Amino acid sequence: MTGRSVLMVQLVGIYALWLREVKRSLRDRGQLIGGISRPILWVLIMGIGLNPYFRGEVYGAATFVVPFTYLQFIFPAVIVLNILFTSVQAAVSVIWDREFGFLREVLVSPLSRGSILLGKVLGGATVAVLHGCLVLLLAKFADVSLTLPKILETLGLMAMLAFALTSLGVVIANHIRSFQGFGVFSNAVILPLYFTSSSVFPLDPSLSRAQTRVVYPEWLVTLVEWNPLTYAVDALRGALIGFNQFDPMTGVVIMGVSGLALFGLALFEFRRA
Amino acid sequence: MAHAANSGLAILVDAVSKRYGRTLALDQVSFEVPRRSLFALLGPNGAGKTTLMHILCTLLRPDTGKAFVAGIDAAAQPLAARRRLGIVFQEPSLDDRLSVRENLELHGLVYGVPRKIRRRRIDELMALVELTDWSDKTARTLSSGMKRRLEIARALIHDSEILLLDEPTVGLDAQTRDRIWHYIRRLQAERDITVLVTTHYIEEVEACDQVCVIDSGKVLAEGSPAELKQRYGQQLLRVVPKTDADHAAIAAQYADRISTDSAAEIILTSDDAFSEGFLAENGARIRALSIEVPSLNSVFLTLTGREIRDQAAGAREQTRAFGKIGGEHTG
Repeated sequence: MTGRSVLMVQLVGIYALWLREVKRSLRDRGQLIGGISRPILWVLIMGIGLNPYFRGEVYGAATFVVPFTYLQFIFPAVIVLNILFTSVQAAVSVIWDREFGFLREVLVSPLSRGSILLGKVLGGATVAVLHGCLVLLLAKFADVSLTLPKILETLGLMAMLAFALTSLGVVIANHIRSFQGFGVFSNAVILPLYFTSSSVFPLDPSLSRAQTRVVYPEWLVTLVEWNPLTYAVDALRGALIGFNQFDPMTGVVIMGVSGLALFGLALFEFRRA
Repeated sequence: MAHAANSGLAILVDAVSKRYGRTLALDQVSFEVPRRSLFALLGPNGAGKTTLMHILCTLLRPDTGKAFVAGIDAAAQPLAARRRLGIVFQEPSLDDRLSVRENLELHGLVYGVPRKIRRRRIDELMALVELTDWSDKTARTLSSGMKRRLEIARALIHDSEILLLDEPTVGLDAQTRDRIWHYIRRLQAERDITVLVTTHYIEEVEACDQVCVIDSGKVLAEGSPAELKQRYGQQLLRVVPKTDADHAAIAAQYADRISTDSAAEIILTSDDAFSEGFLAENGARIRALSIEVPSLNSVFLTLTGREIRDQAAGAREQTRAFGKIGGEHTG
């Protein structure tokens, strides 16, 4: 067989596994319900509920001058939350495949391990981006105006984030033998990661670094700064509401590098297994 | 491909050994499967059949020895070997959320079967295993017999030359088992393929061309069912003694003829004259007696010193243990 047709088989195979992931997820009502109810709860209930309390105010010696509403502020973070949950669910399907034998069917196919994993991760990431888009549908309620370039930029960032998080999920799933263990892990990973990513409260709307450390406890600031997700949330905020706490490129670099590193790790483990 | 055609062999297993920790799962196993034959690997659970299957389908590498599939070294060129193989695992491996047709489509795509041919073969094979009416039902709604049929059809979508079936009938009821075998024989006759099947149901191998008896990782005998019966088959006398004392007396008297001695019964090797003499002499000591003419069951008993059925409970435990470790032998 020629090199070209070998490559074609791998590409078609990746497409097949990607398609399977997407089909499976769209048929999973539970996942779809979660993907719809989460943004509604966070944006329409919590966002609107807290919106009036979030405005320019004097706090001690510091004055918060906030150029956006709480709804606008939390909106990009809810996209991240939806992607986070969906990516991790894609990883659950890794365990599912392993426990229920489907994995063996593809392991004995002409596909390489790399193609199998890539199909899986791309499929999971695609579904995660779709779930991120479900949040975008609520943009009107959050007073976030969407233009085409904005949407494209957001989609690009969402895809990078989804790829990195799905790879992370697969790495975690590789080390977990049961569904129960995974439930615990997702609670121990997803929510802490989300809450410490400057998602629901602004770490630094207008304060300087030094001022931040006065207003917030030191450990919290450190946690937030160490959390890579902080920079993803920040990058999306930059794209959607034009507010950045950090250099806008930081988020892109962190997502890109960690995506490749995590996929590499997942592949290393998958080849060894 | 060329040398496979020349040699006339579909599968060649040459002195393959495989060790898991301290257990020697396969010990210098060698056998040949001629092209277009229906070849059975018969042995109790734990005999090493699945390990051998996994070596053939390239999930495992042998420690020593070589396995050739359609003339291709399975360890050296796994991707090329896989292309020739259709595999049905012991544990189901369907995607239960996809429909019958989608499962077949997915397999065709993964194996790079061109669209037109794929569509045609899917229709043909669904008809062959009589699942056409179920083509849009999701796999999870199928009965276990139908799932098996779907898996067999799936293994043939990429026009595989060799079909490997690992215990295709385990866990199915007798009627469904008959049906699966009906499809296997029909496929083999119609599609000109080689079928290698593992089983621990002796009655199933009667219809196979060649049988290889394997136990504790070793090949014990090989040949057609008729040859095996002729070579190893022996008339057996199955005796149920009345009391323990009778049991001891019989066991002592015929020590040299004992094939199996269990709490409930004694099995003696026999012939017509011996059976008559035994009955005349020991009629009062026994509760029941049966004479077994040579069968594959007696062949197995002669070869291994025990009956294949003795392993029935162990089989279930093994399946469960297998499920617990995630159903993987890839480690």
